[in-house]
Amino acid sequence: MVEMRKLLLAAAAVLLFGACAAQGQVFSSGSPNRAIAKVDPVQYMFPAQVSVTAGKQSTVGLHFRIAPGLHINSHTPRDEFLIPTTFTIPDGSGVRLDSAIYPAGVVMALQADPATKLSVYTGEFTIQARIVATPGNHAVEGKLRYQACDQSQCLPPKTITVAIDVMAK
Amino acid sequence: MKSFPARRNTIVLTAVVLILAVFVWAGWANWEFRKQAAEKLRAEAAHGELALSPAGGMPQFVTSLMGKPAPAFTLADLSGKKVTLESYRGKAVLINFWATWCAPCRLETPWLIELRNKYAAEGFEVLGVDTEGDDLQKSDTAGWAKNKAAVGNFVAEMKVPYPVVMDGDSISREYGGLDDLPASFFVDRKGTVVAAQVGLTSESDIEGNIKKALTE
Repeated sequence: MVEMRKLLLAAAAVLLFGACAAQGQVFSSGSPNRAIAKVDPVQYMFPAQVSVTAGKQSTVGLHFRIAPGLHINSHTPRDEFLIPTTFTIPDGSGVRLDSAIYPAGVVMALQADPATKLSVYTGEFTIQARIVATPGNHAVEGKLRYQACDQSQCLPPKTITVAIDVMAK
Repeated sequence: MKSFPARRNTIVLTAVVLILAVFVWAGWANWEFRKQAAEKLRAEAAHGELALSPAGGMPQFVTSLMGKPAPAFTLADLSGKKVTLESYRGKAVLINFWATWCAPCRLETPWLIELRNKYAAEGFEVLGVDTEGDDLQKSDTAGWAKNKAAVGNFVAEMKVPYPVVMDGDSISREYGGLDDLPASFFVDRKGTVVAAQVGLTSESDIEGNIKKALTE
């Protein structure tokens, strides 16, 4: 009886230590404190799933959110060297993108040079995607390409996946 | 003599303890391995971070390359000629990472041209490193050609007098990842990084760091 109690206590101690040791795998081993948090500039919000009539064009509003303090170029930036925001759907997904209606950009001036005007999106924006789907359920991985900046620096252009389940009947 | 149930319990508990001990060892070994791998990776790659100034105000960019030799590189300029950082030993150099799609980068270019011309006689040069094709696949030859054309047009339009090399993304890790542009590293005549900036600051800030590189 005493021996069994000792073994039980030993098992509990080992289990507790094992749980603590396992935590070492979860926490980063000494990553430096950073004054800037890495954020995803743009996130796809919703919808995750839509129902459409197969073979007929349907309009789906795709909602996105831009991180505070950042802006991305609109679909029609004011200069040709700027990377526009574009939405596409790859071939072979069973869903065809006929066209995308983008919101108008907001004109923004750079604080460092008020003469430099940009056409940008900030906060939340919605792209109206006109799609045609073949019958069936389709796991579509659309792509949104954008390039984000704040007032003084820019992040590299990025393409994110816009995952939507399209149910076409 | 132990009864059968007591012996059975002892065996089961012993087995449980042994299995748990193996799990604990595996967890510890994995943690040690990941810790060493992370330290190795950190040692190999430069990194930068913004440090909050004790006096307040704008955070200052602090790179782990400060006081260390600027990582060597060889990149091709717009004509295809190979340019090496080593060939600038003996001069103070501003290595400026930029891209044509970066509006702040384009804004600071006239300042770089003016300062380069002002301090060239003292042995100062700017090396423009274009990082145009961050999300291009290597096989996208049309995309890379379009990028190169965009860089060429900008360089011609601005009459950039200093060398501009391409494919800066290939050396971004050595220079701290270059998540943000523009990013500038000021290198003294001995090839040591003496200052760094990220983002659009001011012409006077850039000039101050140039003087530091010339006098160190």
